Amino acid sequence: MSDTAKALRQPFALRFASGAFLVFWCVLAAFPIFWITVMSFKSPRDAFAASPWDVITGPATRAAGNGLSILDIVVGLVVLFFALRWAFTRLPDLVARYSPPGMIVLGWLLGAAVYALVFVLLFFGLLPLILGALNGVLGPLGQPVLGLTTQHYEAVWGENEFYRNFLNSMLVTAGVVTISLTVGTLAGYGLARSGSDLAFWLLILALVFRALPHSVLVAGYLPWFINSAEILRPIFGEISPTLYGQPWAVIAVLVAINQPFTIWMLRSFFQNIPAELDEAARVDGCSHFQAFRRVIMPVMWPGVITTGLFSFLLGYNDFLVTALLLDAQNQTMVPAIAGYFNRETTTTDQVEAVAAAVSITAPLFLLVMVFQRQIVSGLTAGAVKG
Amino acid sequence: MKFRTFAAFVGPSVLMMVFFIALPLVSVFLESFKVTQPVMQQVEVETCTPGFLTQTCTTELKTIPVIGADGKVETTTQWQGLQSYRSVLQMDKVWAAIGSSEIGSILQIDFWKALRFTLMYTLLTLPLVIGVGLIIALTVNNATRALRGPIIFVSLLPFIITPVIGSLAIYWLFVGDGILTAMMERWSGTNISMFAQAWTVELLMYFYRVWHVAPFAFVIFYAGLQTVNMDTLESAVIDGASRWQRLRHVIVPHLMPLIVFIALIHLMDCYRVFEEIVGFRSQAHVISLQWLTFDFLVPDDAGNRAISRASASAMLTMVGIVFLLIWPLRRTWRDHRGGAH
Amino acid sequence: MLKKLALAGVVSLMGTTAWSACAFENTTEIKSLSAGFEAWKAVTDAMAECGNVQAELDQEFRTKQPAAFEANPSLYHIGGVSNGTITPLLNAGTIRPLDDLVAKYGSHLKPNQLIKIDGKVMAVAMMVNTQHLMVREDVLSEMGIPVPTTWDEVYAAAAKIKDAGKMDTPLGATMKSGWNLAQEFVNMYPGFGGALFNDDNTAAVNNDKGVKALETLKAGMQYMDPEVLVSDSTYVQQQFQQGKIAMANLWASRAGAMDDEAESQVVGKVKMVAAPMAMAGGAPATTLWWDGIVIAKNISDEEADAAFRVAMEGLDKEMVMANNDAAIWLVDGFVPGATAEGAIATATASPAAPAYPSTTRMGLMHTALGNEIPAFMTGERDAAATLAAIEEAYTTSAKEAGVLK
Repeated sequence: MSDTAKALRQPFALRFASGAFLVFWCVLAAFPIFWITVMSFKSPRDAFAASPWDVITGPATRAAGNGLSILDIVVGLVVLFFALRWAFTRLPDLVARYSPPGMIVLGWLLGAAVYALVFVLLFFGLLPLILGALNGVLGPLGQPVLGLTTQHYEAVWGENEFYRNFLNSMLVTAGVVTISLTVGTLAGYGLARSGSDLAFWLLILALVFRALPHSVLVAGYLPWFINSAEILRPIFGEISPTLYGQPWAVIAVLVAINQPFTIWMLRSFFQNIPAELDEAARVDGCSHFQAFRRVIMPVMWPGVITTGLFSFLLGYNDFLVTALLLDAQNQTMVPAIAGYFNRETTTTDQVEAVAAAVSITAPLFLLVMVFQRQIVSGLTAGAVKG
Repeated sequence: MKFRTFAAFVGPSVLMMVFFIALPLVSVFLESFKVTQPVMQQVEVETCTPGFLTQTCTTELKTIPVIGADGKVETTTQWQGLQSYRSVLQMDKVWAAIGSSEIGSILQIDFWKALRFTLMYTLLTLPLVIGVGLIIALTVNNATRALRGPIIFVSLLPFIITPVIGSLAIYWLFVGDGILTAMMERWSGTNISMFAQAWTVELLMYFYRVWHVAPFAFVIFYAGLQTVNMDTLESAVIDGASRWQRLRHVIVPHLMPLIVFIALIHLMDCYRVFEEIVGFRSQAHVISLQWLTFDFLVPDDAGNRAISRASASAMLTMVGIVFLLIWPLRRTWRDHRGGAH
Repeated sequence: MLKKLALAGVVSLMGTTAWSACAFENTTEIKSLSAGFEAWKAVTDAMAECGNVQAELDQEFRTKQPAAFEANPSLYHIGGVSNGTITPLLNAGTIRPLDDLVAKYGSHLKPNQLIKIDGKVMAVAMMVNTQHLMVREDVLSEMGIPVPTTWDEVYAAAAKIKDAGKMDTPLGATMKSGWNLAQEFVNMYPGFGGALFNDDNTAAVNNDKGVKALETLKAGMQYMDPEVLVSDSTYVQQQFQQGKIAMANLWASRAGAMDDEAESQVVGKVKMVAAPMAMAGGAPATTLWWDGIVIAKNISDEEADAAFRVAMEGLDKEMVMANNDAAIWLVDGFVPGATAEGAIATATASPAAPAYPSTTRMGLMHTALGNEIPAFMTGERDAAATLAAIEEAYTTSAKEAGVLK
């Protein structure tokens, strides 16, 4: 046994190379995102300055009277460190303790939302107040050294009412995830337990559907969606709706587009749950649906959460469908950001777009932080097996 | 499982796909053989538009559609066979180019230009994505346990970030005197413009795609690595297999189904490449098949859209993806036959 | 933070009480769809003061507008258009003649604002826009260069600035491949006296004027950023603001940004002059544009009535006075400032620059130009082959659209 352990232990060069590569990759992965975050806190002149040093220190932003002193930075970093630590260590326990059994997912979502809210209030509300007072007293240590302004965030969330887009995004995403998973688990289970050729050809067809260029589909929907009231009137009479601009119509489209991937993933996952389990239940006199509900549902959550995350990403990040099929009242965040880049924009608009872009990345951050373990365990449990 | 039960389970999903994917697909297929045009008439129209202070009026012969009795534009629809496909493929030019052995001039035709890029893009990034994903998975698996959580988190960032925003973030780093271009300029001492020639733009697009998708491959491989059979690994060690041999003969075969899965997903997604063209504004240098379709479909200021050619190019894209998928699908078919329940 | 919140509350309160700025209280629900630039923001904000107005400023309006106006009832009452984008609405007959509404509520409109097609008022213009020359006055006068009036002089001036080592890329241009680059050709080619079409709708660009136009465009590239094929108006504006370029033929609606303290490092140094001529004695090589409003046809007369009244409130004197520098307004009350000089000089030049034509074939031609010219700019194809390719692309799409038999 010790032989094996010895053989498995790696020479220093290999360990070093592997560590170095990992550091390199992490920098590569995080840098563009880090950089747009930095840009979003600067005045337009600094954000698009040619020298990276100017972008980081922000002389123009500082000259305009917005900046952080050394004290601000030190205290801010300390608070940030402890906040993150707390999120990784204490938060999971709290959530586990207070969420009702079987509702752990809901507990996490609520916990993450409360955590985000408290963090924003503390970090951007309370901290500046305290530090502002301290800076006045401290003299040179309290002088701003790093230009930084939250004006773009205020403009985006305040003046431009970005929270409306946020709520719309949440509505669309929640709809897509719920319906997609409900419909998808049923289909995935059916496909996994039916060995017929029909099931196989359905899967292949679904794959071909997945390969379709979306622009073709979406452009095909537009005239139907806009004229749906007129088209449906002979059938439904006066209640026939105009589908264009309706979030639920967009949800339906996104669910359909997402179905192939969902049923593929869930089918592989269900195939890894031994068929003997539900067969035993069937012997006990359960119908297929009862077997599904009693036997499969309790053990399917890892796979469902992983698949749900992919649905979430699709709904949340979609641009093509939402841009064309929703009107401004129901606009989601991604097309709203693209709106900052139309033919007639200013540099300020662009930095505001960057601020909006960073804002919409934040929920994704939280989501991955929360579900990271579930993703890996869900995938390990076989949500993907070719 | 009885057919009725099966149908009840699969029904809702199939219904949605039929309604929102299959029906539009059929209509696109039919549309590619038809052409629908408004009935046009030539009339003399006087148009008065503002100058500064005074108006200028011009009278000109305009071609405008006839409006029918119901207040809508009168249109005619004709079957035109393969005409749309001919306009997209421009085979006469292709043969002429082959005949005069100027193969390069084929690439000036939009469709072939787009096909060249799309295929190269798909096939070149495939091994890169799988390779980089595998290396990250192996190194993360090698890292101290306490560090793995944060590393996985950081590694997943490029994958979860909204594609439009991800490509813009990279675009800004390199465009004009973007900070990375400026850095390379200082380092090499020459003036570098990443968006001025085709090959650098293409290079950046390859980079973006690998950056964006490798984390997906990584997390799936990483999950796969957790289930590597330790007994097999140990017996390989006892047999004196080197580290490299263990990787090749134990780990990679174990991950093979996952590699096929990622290849499948990557082929499909990459073949649809679109966001990069828009995000990197590369239309002058490289275009992709989906971008070509999209370009046909987007109405110009006067509201014209080339629906027939868009349909034809969409169908040609479809044919291409089916060809690309044959290899991974045959494997899936074998698995299905072998593992039928 | 709390103070900010309180402030926001006050502002929103003001927003609801600001009805007083509108002459009447609107009770009909009105929706509008337009582009999203600064001038539209000003106009739709002024319209919203009347209450029950829902304004959509959408960058996809070009795609949505024709279909949304064709629905019955129309999804929008008011549409924001320009001389390019009014074409599909006119062609489909989905906007209504405004003569009686103008007589009823539009007495304050200037005759210049009324867009007439065959004698019927189809739209009310609010502003003009054009591409004209912006120059860094300080750089030119320092080097003793007179303000250029033709493209040859522009290039000569650019060469001087570059040779003196003052700037590496003294010239900027909106040559992003696609719409922008095509627009540059649409400016230049008529500047050489060329006509884009024959009377039978066939394309007429493949001639020596076309070659000259293309070569003039390309001649400028040596003084431009090598990445000029990705540069749109915003990028050129930023180059100006950061002091990287000294001259560019840029949209008049961008002039205000040069003097924006928060963004620009060249406040007060940029001068607007007429668009350069392609050849001496010709018209400025540019096109004139207007932006304005239309009213949908598929709505009830009462709704149209309310929509028009709301729109008139959006286009009134108070709005212009509050947003004087956001555009070159046609509305009464506009005081042309220094930033408007170039546009006015361009529009009043003799011979005058032509208006961008609102025809179906122009849309097709614009797309063909935008798709084929990049290959010439990158050097893949020579001028003659490019012009032939443009004509071929136009012919294919014109046949598909039914413009050509």
